[in-house]
Amino acid sequence: MAKFAHFVVLRALLAFFTLVVVSFIVFSLMELVPGDCAERYVAFKNSAGAAISIEDIEVERVRLGLDRPYIERWGKWIFNAFQGEFGDSCILRLNISQLLGQKFWLSLGICLSALALAYAIAIPVGIIAATSRNPYLNNGLRLVSYMGLALPNFLLALMIMLFSTVMFGDSLTGLFSKEFRDAPWDYARVMDFLSRAWLPVFILGWSATAFAIQTVRALMSDEIGKLYVTAAAARGVTGRKLLMRYPARHALSPIINSLGFDLNRIFNELPIVALILTLTEAGSLLIEALARSNDQQLAGAIIFFLTASIVTINFITDIILALTDPRIRSSILG
Amino acid sequence: MSDTVISQDQKDKEAYFTAGQGQLIWTRFKKQKAAMVGAMVLAVLILSGLFAPFLTPYDPTIAGRDKEYLNGEPQIPKFWDENGFSARPFVYTYERQRSIKTNFRWQTTIDREARRYVVLLPKGDKYSYFGIEFETHLFGVDKGYIHLFGTDSTGKDIFSRTFHAINTSMAVGTIGVVIAFFMALMIGGVSGYYGGWIDSILQMITDAVRTIPTIPLFMALAAFIPAEWSAEERFFFISLLLGFIGWPTLARRVRTHLLAERSQEYVLAAQLCGASSGHVIRKHLLPSFTSYIIVDLIISFPYMVLSETALSFIGLGLKDPVNSLGVMLQNVTSADVLLNYQWYFIPVLFFITLVLAFVFVGDGLRDAADPYADTKK
Repeated sequence: MAKFAHFVVLRALLAFFTLVVVSFIVFSLMELVPGDCAERYVAFKNSAGAAISIEDIEVERVRLGLDRPYIERWGKWIFNAFQGEFGDSCILRLNISQLLGQKFWLSLGICLSALALAYAIAIPVGIIAATSRNPYLNNGLRLVSYMGLALPNFLLALMIMLFSTVMFGDSLTGLFSKEFRDAPWDYARVMDFLSRAWLPVFILGWSATAFAIQTVRALMSDEIGKLYVTAAAARGVTGRKLLMRYPARHALSPIINSLGFDLNRIFNELPIVALILTLTEAGSLLIEALARSNDQQLAGAIIFFLTASIVTINFITDIILALTDPRIRSSILG
Repeated sequence: MSDTVISQDQKDKEAYFTAGQGQLIWTRFKKQKAAMVGAMVLAVLILSGLFAPFLTPYDPTIAGRDKEYLNGEPQIPKFWDENGFSARPFVYTYERQRSIKTNFRWQTTIDREARRYVVLLPKGDKYSYFGIEFETHLFGVDKGYIHLFGTDSTGKDIFSRTFHAINTSMAVGTIGVVIAFFMALMIGGVSGYYGGWIDSILQMITDAVRTIPTIPLFMALAAFIPAEWSAEERFFFISLLLGFIGWPTLARRVRTHLLAERSQEYVLAAQLCGASSGHVIRKHLLPSFTSYIIVDLIISFPYMVLSETALSFIGLGLKDPVNSLGVMLQNVTSADVLLNYQWYFIPVLFFITLVLAFVFVGDGLRDAADPYADTKK
């Protein structure tokens, strides 16, 4: 047990270290954006009619702590970031954690549902594809997984919008109906949310499913040919029992291992799909922060949030693997 | 009789054992039907991209626009209508006007009497290859314009733009892949060859870069581009970015391969002969997995193309007058386009075909480059 605790602590440290490296990369990138927060604040005052000078900008810089050395500011940023505090947005002039709070959890929820959907489909279908000898089924599935790559989510979203606009005259955009947008959470709002959230979940899950089917199928066909499966079959284990007990369990480990990167792939698609479906509650805030206003504080916070959730997933899957896979368990416990 | 059978068998074996790696890969590749079809489609698309200025009738930029036909629907050449048959295909003349009768809105009317006949090799917009100017195009019409895929909101010919866009995507992809390739080779190579603590540190950095979602990061970087940059500068910057973000996956594979190879006897033999590290890497290790690297490059190519498309689509990537699929799709989410101008989506079909062709070829090559592919089955 002590060894297991040791392993968990080690993994947690590693995850923490990854986050520190990532935060350094993100912070450096945000520093590279031309102009800084002080200039934006003062520019805002200027647009409000006040006369400004270079001195004003300098004063503002000192007030915001932007005159401090680079490393010190990074240290402060990362220290606050781990406490969930990202300061104020340069443009919107609101507290970032308040601004992101609910939107982030909604986005994460949608992405995780997409991931769950992908594997709920991919695991049974992948296993069937690996075991069946039906060439039509196999080729059909192969084509579907290829389409997952060739028709990326944002094109799929466009196609669905095109189709639904032409057929039903509704482009199916947004996460809430008009009357529920600012309403407090209650039963009716949840139902409204669910009646609209299936589309982004489906679209985000689309290529994830295609990838997952390919992975599951490849892993299963590798395992099925192995001797231990033949041995089990020789002992008289057959059918679904054989598949579930032996090759499926083996194939599961690499899948759990890659969940973090699957989530990464879904995050990749989120901002663009969100833009197309005008999910203002989700990733399109990032596009807003970057494209429209160069709001480096907000953009940095969002990327940090996304990466942190991937690192967390990786950490959790490592622990799950250590608990479920006897091979890894024994290598930890010695 | 049996002699000839044996000698034939012998010859086959001899050919097999003396064949170079390239020949072996080609032999295995040829056996895969899907990959061969993919390769042919890919070749056709790339060639039509390269010869786009000749194959398409008009300049894809604002210079080649048709002022009389904005947001015009595709014109399909016909051989006959109620006015009789014509051996030469033709399209109708479209006129755009507004007056008090149309409530001052632009309206397009079709003049079915005035035919425009398709002609081969007409002279049109100028284009240049290798500094030599040409003005002959494959086809056109005798009067006015022809728009096989319709036009966009400024009257640019979507057919011409689509083919030029293939070219752009291929160029962005190539530059991106080449940069990613060199970075992966350097970082993965150093990490895999030296191992030890250098490897550990480089791996940590690679893993950290891999956990950052690329498109959001990409958006953050692309937002730096100053607004006053020209289209060409943007183009190179975007390609550079694609390369700088795309290396980790490839670097990991290079490293894994080198780690496995460097403990082989032939490396030890070379080192015992006094070969330097550089010599061992260049002369012995790199050739051992060039084919895998090439396959990896081809597989990562569509990702580059798609990232560029996604980025341009949200307006952070390429911009007019550079043509790419993303640029062409920039305004399609508006209800106006969705309801009235569905031909904006025609280029999407070409890009799905392009990416699919790449995927098929990449998969086929991967199987073909695997030396154990025959023994596995």
